[in-house]
Amino acid sequence: MNRPLLFCSIFSGFLLGAASAQAVEPLLFNRDIRPILSDKCFACHGNDPNKRTADMRLDVRESAITARGIVPGRPDESEALTRMMSDDPDVQMPPPGSKLSRLSPHEIAIIRQWIAEGAAYQDHWSFVPLQPIRPNHDRAPTEIDAFVWKGLATRGLVPQPEADKSTLLRRVSFDLTGLPPSPAEAQAFLADNSPDAYGRVVDRLLQSVGFGERMAVDWLDIARYADSYGFQVDRDRDVSLWRDWVIKAFNTNLPFDQFVHWQLAGDLLPNPTDEQIVATAFNRLHQQESEGGSVEEEYRVEYVCDRVQTFSTAFLGLTFECARCHDHKYDPLTQRDYYQLFAMFQNIDESGLYSYAPPTIPTPTLSIVDVPTKARIELLQRKTKDLEMRWHTSKEESHEAFSHWLNDRPTEIKIDNELARYGFETIEGNKLANDVAADKPAVLGGDAKFVAGIAGQAIEFTGDDGLILPLGKFARHEPFSVSLWLKTPRELERAVVLHCTRGWTDSGSQGYELLIIDGHLRWSLNHFWPGNAISIEASQPLPVAEWTHVVVSSDGSSRADGLRLTVNGRPAEVSVLKDHLTKQITGEGGDQLTIGQRSRDRGFPGGQVDELRVFGRALSPLESLATFHGEAATRLLQLPSEQLTPADRAMLFEHFVTTVDEDQRQQLTAISAARVEQNQLMDSVRELMVMRELPQPKQAFVLRRGEYNGRGEEVFSSVPAAFLPLPDNAPSNRLGLAQWLTDRKHPLTARVTVNRLWQGLFGVGLVKTAEDFGSQGTPPLYPELLDWLALRFIDSGWDTKAILRTIVMSHTYRQRSVADAEIMADDPENLWLARGPRFRLSAEMIRDNALLSAGLLHPQVGGAPVFPYEMSESFKPTSPSSGSGLYRRSIYTHWRRTGPPPALVAFDAPRRAVCTARRERTDSPLQPLILLNGIQYVEAARVLGESLYVEAKGDVTAMIERGFVQCLSRKPDTREFEILKRLYNEQCDYFTEHASEANALLHVGATAHQSSVPIPHAAAACVLAQSLLNHDESVVKR
Amino acid sequence: MKADDVAQQVVPDGEVYDGRRRFLQRFGLGIGGIALSEMLTRDSAAALVDRGVLGSPHFAPKAKRIISLFMSGGPSQLDLLDYKPLLKERHGQQLPESVRGGQRLTGMSGNQASIPMVGSPFRFKQHGPAGAWFSDKLPFTAGIADKICVVNSMYTEAINHGPGVTLLQTGTQIAGRPSFGAWLSYGLGQENANLPSFVVLVTNGKGGQPLGAHLWGSGFLRSQYQGVLFRAADDPVLYLRNPGGLGAEGRRMLLDRLQELHEHQLETTPDAEIQSRIDNYEMAYRMQTSIPEVTDLSQESPHVLESYGPDVGKPGTFAANCLLARRLAQRGVRFIQLYPQDWDHHGDVPGRIPALCTETDQPAAALVKDLEQHGLLDDTLVVWGGEFGRTNYCQGKISDKFGRDHHPRCFSIWLAGGGVKPGSQYGASCEFGYNIAENGMHVHDLHATLLHLLGIDHEQLTYKFQGRRYRLTDVHGNIVREILA
Repeated sequence: MNRPLLFCSIFSGFLLGAASAQAVEPLLFNRDIRPILSDKCFACHGNDPNKRTADMRLDVRESAITARGIVPGRPDESEALTRMMSDDPDVQMPPPGSKLSRLSPHEIAIIRQWIAEGAAYQDHWSFVPLQPIRPNHDRAPTEIDAFVWKGLATRGLVPQPEADKSTLLRRVSFDLTGLPPSPAEAQAFLADNSPDAYGRVVDRLLQSVGFGERMAVDWLDIARYADSYGFQVDRDRDVSLWRDWVIKAFNTNLPFDQFVHWQLAGDLLPNPTDEQIVATAFNRLHQQESEGGSVEEEYRVEYVCDRVQTFSTAFLGLTFECARCHDHKYDPLTQRDYYQLFAMFQNIDESGLYSYAPPTIPTPTLSIVDVPTKARIELLQRKTKDLEMRWHTSKEESHEAFSHWLNDRPTEIKIDNELARYGFETIEGNKLANDVAADKPAVLGGDAKFVAGIAGQAIEFTGDDGLILPLGKFARHEPFSVSLWLKTPRELERAVVLHCTRGWTDSGSQGYELLIIDGHLRWSLNHFWPGNAISIEASQPLPVAEWTHVVVSSDGSSRADGLRLTVNGRPAEVSVLKDHLTKQITGEGGDQLTIGQRSRDRGFPGGQVDELRVFGRALSPLESLATFHGEAATRLLQLPSEQLTPADRAMLFEHFVTTVDEDQRQQLTAISAARVEQNQLMDSVRELMVMRELPQPKQAFVLRRGEYNGRGEEVFSSVPAAFLPLPDNAPSNRLGLAQWLTDRKHPLTARVTVNRLWQGLFGVGLVKTAEDFGSQGTPPLYPELLDWLALRFIDSGWDTKAILRTIVMSHTYRQRSVADAEIMADDPENLWLARGPRFRLSAEMIRDNALLSAGLLHPQVGGAPVFPYEMSESFKPTSPSSGSGLYRRSIYTHWRRTGPPPALVAFDAPRRAVCTARRERTDSPLQPLILLNGIQYVEAARVLGESLYVEAKGDVTAMIERGFVQCLSRKPDTREFEILKRLYNEQCDYFTEHASEANALLHVGATAHQSSVPIPHAAAACVLAQSLLNHDESVVKR
Repeated sequence: MKADDVAQQVVPDGEVYDGRRRFLQRFGLGIGGIALSEMLTRDSAAALVDRGVLGSPHFAPKAKRIISLFMSGGPSQLDLLDYKPLLKERHGQQLPESVRGGQRLTGMSGNQASIPMVGSPFRFKQHGPAGAWFSDKLPFTAGIADKICVVNSMYTEAINHGPGVTLLQTGTQIAGRPSFGAWLSYGLGQENANLPSFVVLVTNGKGGQPLGAHLWGSGFLRSQYQGVLFRAADDPVLYLRNPGGLGAEGRRMLLDRLQELHEHQLETTPDAEIQSRIDNYEMAYRMQTSIPEVTDLSQESPHVLESYGPDVGKPGTFAANCLLARRLAQRGVRFIQLYPQDWDHHGDVPGRIPALCTETDQPAAALVKDLEQHGLLDDTLVVWGGEFGRTNYCQGKISDKFGRDHHPRCFSIWLAGGGVKPGSQYGASCEFGYNIAENGMHVHDLHATLLHLLGIDHEQLTYKFQGRRYRLTDVHGNIVREILA
């Protein structure tokens, strides 16, 4: 059968319908004309100047008229129309090469009529302000029905009567909680004949915990929530806290504008609470990469683009991602607009790659602590701070002791706790002698040259081979220093002089490292670069081709001011790059201090190193000087006191208090112990990826063709002003963006949101393309209803529960979902709303329904994701959870992007790689296999069957009736009784004959078989329950 | 036996349409109720023999199906199909900067200070009428040189596996778009109602770069078009077998009663979806027979089994999957995607290439010959290749266990059957094996060409999503007519 033909006929059927309405109403540009022009013309005659041909725009009336494409009132003189009608391939539009099909005669007729009527344009329907319209609902039960009934009347249709009570209860229960009514709830509702019985049910459902769980599923699709990072490596990640926050936000009915503000910009709110910051994880749930060798900036750009795309799909209902590469062809969005939003979403201290190992949480993060832990952290912080303060005070009081020491100071300096010293003079095989610890030689990892050094020989590195020391793993509380002579061959853009890390971006640079960046020395301690690190950089470039002495040290404070960089005996002038280190720097691996090389990084090619020393202390300035120039230090020690300059005295004083004075040293030991305690606690704290705005915005550019390395013109953060300017006093950042979005004059946010809520109830939105309210989207058949709902939503204070209540109380929602065959065939998607909603339940609802019917559903709300049976069949199999993890609501199922839960995916759950505003709904033969054979469903049927048997004491009629009510919320009719009785008896006979099959069937799943039920009966009852769980009414909302 | 014949055998004529006809008659609409039948087709597309959105190809196709042997990880073209004696001569010398140009390297070797070229340790010989070169590690492939077309000028932009494989399978580097097989099912539908039209076979127990389900996903197309992964397990398809050893007889009784319940419901509820559900339960029941039948290799003759090599007896090996691919092709499956893994040889090319060739060379060649013997090669396209090539220089330090990094600028594939010029070769890389010297063929060009062979204009198989018409080749793709027979 020829499908395209069929499609044409149904399509023209609709148009004829529209045309017959024209007798009453004139043509409307947005409804009748824009869809045609947008589809056939705007790609070349629209918003994108780069693709515009013949300098002709048809999306702007003035331009169309100036170019004589359209001559109002004169169709035959309008070039656009004559070209649409032409058969001459050189003239014809769309041009034959464009692959766009020609306009149908009907479309041409409509365009002709529209031009004849004066070619009136309208602004795009979704970009104009919300239209306050008060419907007259004298004759319709609610305002919603007034809009719908008016529309139905123009089509000669009438609404259906209200659905029967059991159907309606089942419908509204699934819609508001994702679960069916319990038999008791069904019975109570059937028995309640009071006029507000239904309204009270609605209120009860809106108050139930299941409400938040049901609403959160749709929001998780929007937010591309998953429990793994996605892309190639796809490690697990811990973000369930955010999911639990969403559930709570729906259950506590957080006003939707706050819901938006918190997620987009919780960190920017005044004195934000942890909860408000948790909400911002919304922006970090995109896929992330860790594949070795990936380009960090490429993926960082990808992440920011994903944020922009998710933002625009979720809140604007616009396909902004088109503008990543060029001005939008259909909607008033420029590439510049895109990168102005990009500028807003990139201002966090993040890396484009997450750590392959150790498994560090990508920054920025929020520490997730309960109240007692928070108090304990604060206590320990205060304790450390007090000790530090006391040390500073007592330092000031040590001048007298210092004076005594000064007069009696030693004449030579001896540096304690030296762990290693390599002069590179003695080589055995590839081992280089350690002059202070003979059992710890350094090992050359490959080639290297020995060249004349500052003293004897030095090593010249290839860049691909390092010198590896069997030591150097220092925790962040441990003071340590490294001193060395080095010579760089030229100004290096990037070089690794030394490091003790497992790798670069593969490990978040965890550890410590001395790098050369653009010719400058950079000294850092990192938990995860760049967001959890302390780092300083020398202001002066490193001298080229000159031996330079460098000492780097850390005092164990985890603060940037505890890092020191000494160049040629003098403290270097530095700038602080990072000053936020809250977790350990010594995760798994990378335990050896390595010079001149790092895996997948640039080493120190041509760099020379000599006289390398490692100390388990932070050297005092005097000691640093001593490692540079021993005589200079000795001279200072030997200089009579009165000849010392103030600078000399300061250096000696610093040396005295940190290394000589016993009391001071004890205090330092106490400080260190306090830090250990504090650090251990912090290391155990859970973290969540969140947004934390950088104080200085990152530079943003238009990226040519959207490519990370195609930087063009610089841009600054701003909102897409075509819709609405930024409100007064709103900052030009994410917070301002959120305020702009929920400004009551914003034409899109409320429309997009109520449409999605409508879609959740009716299966299809008033705007069918919930993800696209732009020119290429489908305009609504009931635009006035959409606007009325949107305004009502705003006026209610963005009250989600209230607007849902308004909708489900309407007759339009409550009417029967089945109409006669012609009406259903004419409008299979029910866009005209001539009947109630009817569609297959979502993947989650189908599974939760089976669990609840069997009494297996475990009610715990929130927590870590779980692994039901199907996970062992996933493309990335995992063993199933034990105990309650098998029976939790499906929203808690672990979502791995490269191997999502296969039974849920078979029922159209998305993989959650990208923002999804609308799920597909398909029927396939793979679905019956899951419902009939999947462990989860067989076990549910088994448990349900046995409990029916026990409750009905084996009476078949009673079992069937109970089972029907349990699974389908209604009683069976005579014929159904008959069929199921036959089924039960047949199966009993069958299993009596096939005892081993029965026995095996009763052992599917983890729940034990109830031995009180005879085996053939238990097996037959299982099959009976299977027939109910596979019944159409179990999986379809009607 | 040709594919159509087998399909006919498995689906008795008209059976799948029966339910639909019953439904139409019940509501007095007959087949003439066009709008209703449109609704039916949409609601129950999977249950019927779906003819796809195109109904029929844009023009007469040369090929009706594809078997893709996707060498995941990126095999080294320089050690298999792209002979470069110069590299042997200059073994150990630095790659001249002029050859490398501004090429973007991966972070794996991009920061290496030294990049010495490495010649292949294997011997090469010319085979076939076009004199294509084959490494001595591919003796069986060399033996079918007269049947295949070797392309030595493939290129891509992707430098890493995730984006590279995703581009080859979906036409874009970022995951989320429909895969080739999904586009094909969407466009042309099914040939056999009892089997999925897009089947994926992953070699069992191989390490290497991870694959993800998005590679055979349907993206924004309906999920019925996604590839169905056949596993080398007792259940080739998720929950195909009855639970707990339940026999077919007991299940049939359940299905009969379930059907009665549904038909009873249909009498009061005129909803096409119910009919669709009935059809799907029947189809699922048939799949419980048809899939074990097709995956059972024991019916194959000993000489066929032998031709695929010693691994063919082990389920889930590449050899067993190649033979299974032929059986699926024979039954009208449109897109059969094999994923032999572990070609990511960053180290020990000299040791790992021979090992992997032992596993893959003979079965791949046997598949081509077997298809030919069954009269299927004429309308079945076989494509062999990975997501990118490998560098002409070694990764890390040069040694006798040297490795090669990812290389997007040129790599090799071969194609056979389905309208491709047999015994030919196309394109060439430069003497360094680093850049394309002539006739570059981008991944999009490959896609456009394959679709052309299937009778599809790659610019016209589109799906409108979020306001834009998407297609497999995005806004690119040129048909490479030179390789067409």
